[in-house]
Amino acid sequence: MNIKITDKALRHFLDTSVTSEEMTNYVSLCGPTFDRVTKLDHDYLYEIEIITNRIDMASAQGIARNSVAILNQRGLSATLQNDPYRDKINLYSNLPKTFTFEIENPDLVPRFTAVSLENIHIKDSPEDTKNLLTLCGERPINNAVDITNELTILYGMPSHIFDLDKLAAQRLTIRESKKGEGVTTLDDQKNILHGGDLVIEDGAERLVDLCGVMGGQIAKVDVHTKNILLIVPVYHPNRIRKTSLYLQKRTLAAQIYEKQPDMELCLPVLMKAIKLFEERAGAHVSSGVYDSSPNPFKLKEVALDINWANSLIGVSIPVSTVVSILESLGFNVINKNKDILICTVPSWRYYDINIKEDLVEEIARVYGYSKILPKLPCVNLPPERKSSLLITESKIKNFLSCQGFNEVYNSSLISMDLINKTSLSESNHLKLANTLSKDFEYLRTSLVPSILQNLKNNQGKSEEPFYLYELSNIYQKNGGKLPNETSKLVITSTVDFRNLKGYLESLFINFHLKPYTFKTTANAPIYFLDGNTAEIISDGKGLGFIGTIKPTVLHNIGITSNPTVIELDTESIAISIQKNLVYQPISDFPEVVEQMTISAKLGIGDIIEKIQSTSKLINKITYTDSFQNNHSFKIHFSSLTRNLTQSEVNDIKKTIQGLFS
Amino acid sequence: MATNYNETIEEIKRRLSDDLSKAGTSGDVELLEVKYLGRQGEINKLFKTLPIKEDPKLGKAINDLKNFCKQLLSEMLSGLLNKAPEGSFDVTIPGIQPPIGSRHLITHAIEEIEGIFTQLGFVRRRYPEVETDWYYAEGLNIPKDHPARDDQETFYIAEDIVLTAHTSNGQLREMEKVKVPPIKMINIGKTYRRQTDSSHNPMFHQFEGLLVDKNINITHLLGVTDYFVKSYFGSDRTIRLRPHHFQFTEPSFEIDISCGLCHGKGDINGSPCKICKSGWLELGGAGMVHPNVLKNGGLDPNIYSGFAFGWGVERVLMMKSGLNIPDLRLFYTDDLRFLKQF
Repeated sequence: MNIKITDKALRHFLDTSVTSEEMTNYVSLCGPTFDRVTKLDHDYLYEIEIITNRIDMASAQGIARNSVAILNQRGLSATLQNDPYRDKINLYSNLPKTFTFEIENPDLVPRFTAVSLENIHIKDSPEDTKNLLTLCGERPINNAVDITNELTILYGMPSHIFDLDKLAAQRLTIRESKKGEGVTTLDDQKNILHGGDLVIEDGAERLVDLCGVMGGQIAKVDVHTKNILLIVPVYHPNRIRKTSLYLQKRTLAAQIYEKQPDMELCLPVLMKAIKLFEERAGAHVSSGVYDSSPNPFKLKEVALDINWANSLIGVSIPVSTVVSILESLGFNVINKNKDILICTVPSWRYYDINIKEDLVEEIARVYGYSKILPKLPCVNLPPERKSSLLITESKIKNFLSCQGFNEVYNSSLISMDLINKTSLSESNHLKLANTLSKDFEYLRTSLVPSILQNLKNNQGKSEEPFYLYELSNIYQKNGGKLPNETSKLVITSTVDFRNLKGYLESLFINFHLKPYTFKTTANAPIYFLDGNTAEIISDGKGLGFIGTIKPTVLHNIGITSNPTVIELDTESIAISIQKNLVYQPISDFPEVVEQMTISAKLGIGDIIEKIQSTSKLINKITYTDSFQNNHSFKIHFSSLTRNLTQSEVNDIKKTIQGLFS
Repeated sequence: MATNYNETIEEIKRRLSDDLSKAGTSGDVELLEVKYLGRQGEINKLFKTLPIKEDPKLGKAINDLKNFCKQLLSEMLSGLLNKAPEGSFDVTIPGIQPPIGSRHLITHAIEEIEGIFTQLGFVRRRYPEVETDWYYAEGLNIPKDHPARDDQETFYIAEDIVLTAHTSNGQLREMEKVKVPPIKMINIGKTYRRQTDSSHNPMFHQFEGLLVDKNINITHLLGVTDYFVKSYFGSDRTIRLRPHHFQFTEPSFEIDISCGLCHGKGDINGSPCKICKSGWLELGGAGMVHPNVLKNGGLDPNIYSGFAFGWGVERVLMMKSGLNIPDLRLFYTDDLRFLKQF
C-alpha cells in the first residue's frame, strides 16, 4: 500500500532541521521507502510505500516517529512533537448520551468510540486543509467531512460522521449483514451484500454504514446538517478486507482497517476531531463519549538476548545503541544493563512485534543495513554429486543445440482446444480451478501438442526445414495426490524420418547409451501414426517413441509438412547412460570390407541384428541401399590377434546368406 | 671392372634426371624416392649386386651416388612444394553451414546462475512445481486466513493443491531431505501467477537459495548476494538492503542492485535514468529464515539459523545490461526468428 503525505504534515510531528532530501534518503534505507518525492512551492509531496505489516506507519505521525529514530542514529537532531499518545483524554462524563449503540458480536468490533456534537456550521474547509487533502489524493467536501479525512492522513486512524438528525431514533446496531441486503454508499452506488459484512443499522432498520469501507447515503452530512455523530472505531481486519475486495471499494479506510490499526489511538483521534469541529465548525460536544472495548489492550513483553541478536545480525552493536533504538521507536526497555533485555511493545506495534527476531529487524534496520558488510559464509558441506537427471538435461541441450536444433520454452498450461486437436483425453489432464484464460487452462501431460503448434506457428515465417526441441516437466494425474512431475524431451523436425533418427542415434552414441533397439509398436501415444512409429528400448525398458504424426492431428493443427517427432523420458535416458566407459582395444591388423546383398522380407534393423549375431569377427555393418526386398550392406571384418584370410571371410558370408535363404 | 660400374652409376644418374624431368607433383617425387632410395630401390640393388668388399672405392662411389640422388630429389621436392598452386578460389564466398541451433535464453541464464552458486558450494535441486498448501503456504508461516492468501495471484488445482507462485516450497522440502544442516541449496524451477502484462507471464522461472547452519547471519546473506550480483551483472555493481515483510523470513529484505546504465546515480547528464528508480533496480526479496519455518522443517531455531532468497530468472535476464528485451512474454514465443538469435 502507498500513502501520500506532505512535508508540512510530517513536520507537524517531526521537529528537525534536516533537509527533505537528507531525511528521505536516510529513512528510505531503513524503511519505509519514499517512492517518489515531488517538490512543490514551499513544500514537498511524498509517496511512501508502506510495508504490509507496518500499518502504524501509514500516517504523518507514524512516519515522523520512525524518522526520529533513524535520524538520531545518524547523529542528527530530531524529536517527536504533537505526539497523540500524550494527549489528555476528556470523556465528557458530565453530559448525557444522545444516542444508543448495540454491538451484536463484540469480537468483530474490538474498539468503538463515539460522541455527538451540536450546532455545527457546514462550510468550506480552510485553504490549507483543502490543499493537504487534494495533494494526498482525497477530494475536499466540506469542513466536517474534511476533518475526518485529514485526521486519517495525519494519524492513520479512520473516522466517520453521521447527520444525527437523519438517524431514526438515534439508535444504532452494529451487526453482520444478511445475504442480499442492500446499502447505498456515499459514492451513490447501491451495493448488494454477500452476508457477514459489518454494517450499522438505525432505529428504522435501515443500513446507514458499510463499516470500515464507506458510509451510507441515508445519514450523509450536508449543508443542512446541524448535529453530528462522530465515530472512531476499529473493526475485525478480515471482515473489512473481504467486503472491500468483493465490492471493489479499496478506500483508504478499508486499507487501514484490514491491517489492524492501533485501538489505543481511537480516543486520542476522537479528541483531535472534537477540537477541530470546535475550531472550524463552531460545534460543541453534546454527549458523553461512548467507548466500547470488550478486550482492553494489555501490554506485551518480548525478551531479547543481546548476544544472540548480535550473532544473528553479524555485527556487534553496543547495548546502549540497541536500547536507544528501541526506546526511540516507543519500546519500554527494562533490564538495560543485563544481557537479556525485557522490551515492552508499544500499543501501535502490538500485532507486528511477537518474537525476538522481530526486534532484531528493528535494531538492524535503524542501526543501518549499510553498516553491515558482506561476508561469505564458511560451511562444511559434505560432498554430493549433482543429480544425473540435471546433468543429462544439460548435456542433451548442449548436444542438440550444437547439432542445429533450436530450443523452445512452451507454457506448461495449454488449452482444451489443443488437447482435442491432438486426440488426447481432456479427463487425463489437471485443470485449473481459477484460470486466467482458456489458453492456459490444463497442465500438459505431453510436450508433443505444444511443439506441433510451434511447427504450425513457424510455417511461412522461417525457412524449412525446422529443427526444434523442448525439455520440460509434464504433470500427470495421480489420484487426489500431487501429480507426477516427469522430465520429458521432445524433438521434431521437418527433415525425413531417417535423418531425424540419425540425429537421435548420434546423440545415443555420443552419450554412450547402453545397447538400444527401435521396435515397431502399436502402443505409442495416440497422436503417433501406427506403422510409422517405433518404441525405443534400452536394457528392456522403454525410453520413448519416434515416428510420424497421424494425418488427422496434422490437419487439425494445420501443419502442411510431414514432421517426425521423438518423445523421450529424460530420466530413463539418464539411467541408460553407461556409468563407466571401458577402453576397446584397436586392431593392428587390416580390416576386410565386403559388400553383401541380402534378400529378405524383414526390417533392415532386424537383418543387421541377425548379421551381427553370426560372428565376433564382424566389426561393423553399414547399410547402403535397398531395391525392393534386396538390401545392400558393407560388412567390416577384423580380428585383434591376426590377419584374416579370404576363405574364412567367405565362410562367414556363406553362413550369413544361409540365414536368409 | 672400374669402367663397368662407373657406367652403371652414370646410367642411374641419367635415368633419375629423365624421371625427374617428367615429375610434375610432389607425389611423383615421393614415388621416385622409393624407386631409387627405397629398400628395394636402384641404389640398394647396387649394394647387393656389385662386389663392394673387393673394391673399397666402389662402396664410396655408390654412397656418393646415393647422396647425389638424395640431393637431387630433395631439391626437386622443395621446388615443387614451393610452387604456387594453379588457379585460386574466392575466399569471400560464404561457407556451407550446417543447421544453426540455439539454447534458449532462459537455459543460458539458469546455467549461468547455477554455475555461480555452484562455485559457492550450493547444490542444485528441483522440487515440485505443483504443490500442497502446506509446503507452499501454511508451513511457510502463512496461515489459512492470512491476507497474503487472497492476493488472487495463485492458480489453484484444488483447495489444497496449487501451482507454485514462488520456489520457496523447496525450503521445507530441503530441510526434510537433509535433516541435519548444513543446508546449501539452490532450487530452480517453473512458477506460475495469474498475471499477464509486459513484465509478467503466467509461467516464469525462479531460483531459490537456502542456507542453514549454525551461526548464519545477515552478513552472510549479503556476502552471497554480493558475490552473485558481481558475478552475474558485473564487478562494478553494488547491492543494498531495504526492509520488507515476508511471512517466511524475519528480518525480511528487498534487495536492490545499483543500476548499470546510470551507475547508481539516477540520472544521465541531468536527465532521469530510463531504467531505474533513482539509481537502483529491485532484484527481489530475501531474509533470515523465520523460526516457525525452521520448526516446520524439523530444525531447532535455537541451534540453527539461515537465510533464503527467491529471485526471478527472467527478471535478472532482463536486468542484464544491453539485452534490450521490451516484454517478458517474448521469452515464451516460439518464433524461430527470436529463438535463433541466442
